[in-house]
Amino acid sequence: MKHLTKTVVLVLAIAVVLTGCKQPTQLINDVKAAVEKVTTDGADKYAAEELKAINDDLTKALDEVAAQDKKFFKKFGPAKEMLAAVQTKVTELAAALPAKIEAAKNAAIQLQTEAQTALTETAELLKKAPKGKGTAKDLEALQGDLTGAQTLFGEIQTALDTKDYIGAADKAKTVKDKVAAIAEQVNAAIAKVKK
Amino acid sequence: MKLYQSTRAACFAGFLFCIACNTPPVPPEAARAKALEQDLWRTGGSLFAPGEYESFKAGLRDADERIRDEEAKFGWFRDYGTVRAELSGLVAQGEDLLRRIKDEKAAKERTFAVSAETLAARIESLIQITRYFNENEDVRKNVSQAEIKLAEARMLVAKENYDLAAKTAGEGGIFLDRAEAAAVKILDRYLDAGQRAKWRRWAEEAIEESRTKTSVVFLVNKVERKLTLYKNGEIKARYDIGLGKYGLSDKLYSGDQATPEGRYRITQKIPASRFYKALLIDYPNESDRQAFAAARSKGLIPAGAGIGGDIEIHGGGKDSLTRGCVGLDNKDMDDVYEWARVGATVIIVGAIGVENTILAEIMKFKDHASQ
Repeated sequence: MKHLTKTVVLVLAIAVVLTGCKQPTQLINDVKAAVEKVTTDGADKYAAEELKAINDDLTKALDEVAAQDKKFFKKFGPAKEMLAAVQTKVTELAAALPAKIEAAKNAAIQLQTEAQTALTETAELLKKAPKGKGTAKDLEALQGDLTGAQTLFGEIQTALDTKDYIGAADKAKTVKDKVAAIAEQVNAAIAKVKK
Repeated sequence: MKLYQSTRAACFAGFLFCIACNTPPVPPEAARAKALEQDLWRTGGSLFAPGEYESFKAGLRDADERIRDEEAKFGWFRDYGTVRAELSGLVAQGEDLLRRIKDEKAAKERTFAVSAETLAARIESLIQITRYFNENEDVRKNVSQAEIKLAEARMLVAKENYDLAAKTAGEGGIFLDRAEAAAVKILDRYLDAGQRAKWRRWAEEAIEESRTKTSVVFLVNKVERKLTLYKNGEIKARYDIGLGKYGLSDKLYSGDQATPEGRYRITQKIPASRFYKALLIDYPNESDRQAFAAARSKGLIPAGAGIGGDIEIHGGGKDSLTRGCVGLDNKDMDDVYEWARVGATVIIVGAIGVENTILAEIMKFKDHASQ
């Protein structure tokens, strides 16, 4: 009986030592998968700085794992703590990411709406502009300019549909700016008639 | 005993002091290398030189590991000499890489700037050209799209997204190709040497006629937007004119808003017209009737459309769109009206030479498209 107890204690002790020496493979895989997911979910575009910090921490943790792995008396405790910290950060980023993407999406939609409003108002302005002496030719040309802007307006929605909110915002801004420039010229033509 | 205890304490304190004094600090190159890694990332190392950036990061990790190994040693035995040398090399490598990435980005920016400048010049040239003809909606539509694409490309360059910027600028270039093609289509017949020779002959005949007749001869050059008055073979006056929406086309039928080309005569002087003062010409002449009949037989005339008439040289402003007439500013019309006599010759031509800016530009577009 006494012999059996000794054996059990010895086996348990070896098990404890061996468990402590084992690489935290599952944890590593989980963290890597979480980082990959948050990246494909858009963190590389909408939270690049945070993602960079996470990747740096993950690299450090993996380096620590590799360093311990080379040793005879392996001590993976600190590496596990580092990995757990990375996992916490990834979880936090994953939770915050939809809000960041939503904010980018809303900003793009807001710009799209502003561009649409500018297009509608300028089209109306052109329609009402007096095509009198000295303006008819200019207004015809400006109608061509506006048609061009209207044609490219569709690209904003295409970018939104493909979830390229940053690209959509850029496109919306350039269309809006162009339409504003056209409106300014239409107003200048109108002012010329009123003189 | 007391002396012994004091000596022992002093020795211990001295020992601790020696250890403290002899613990070498972590080399400052380590912090510099870490800062460089951040700079490289922010500068786009992973995009512009992924292999070298990863190699730098790997070197930094190795150095970190060595520093940790040294830090694990008792202070007295730490030696950062080797790792310091490695870090110095790494810093030099990182600084060189950073400089090269910055140089590459600067080169990409310069390349983009050249391409953007070319696009902007083409846009400006096309906008200038559209001031010479009114049937410009298709040209302006494409130019407007090119302008938007160029603005978008500039935004992308500001974000250092050079590849997408180049692609977007390329799309702008395609719109400009289309705009140029549309301009060429409108002015193609002006590039025909045979057509221009015919117009030149009309103009020369008109100038010759002005030598033999007492009245002034009126020469309208559509592409140059000029009305020139000749007497005794010499230019007496020149005025800027305006035409209809499709003024560069030859008039074929009523409502086509085109300005006829040919040899006409003033049939009536109208002192108080709807457009200030007017000089009515004898459009359609025999040649116009033949052209109308030929076009109708080919089905080129809309159903119910007649040949039209009431083509005038009138006031009301050179900038307003006429429906096929030749418009002048009122003060110029006063002069022209004074020079005009009923029966005087009016020659309307498309163009005479290609030396003028617009046709020279259009020829460039045509060459560009054929390349």
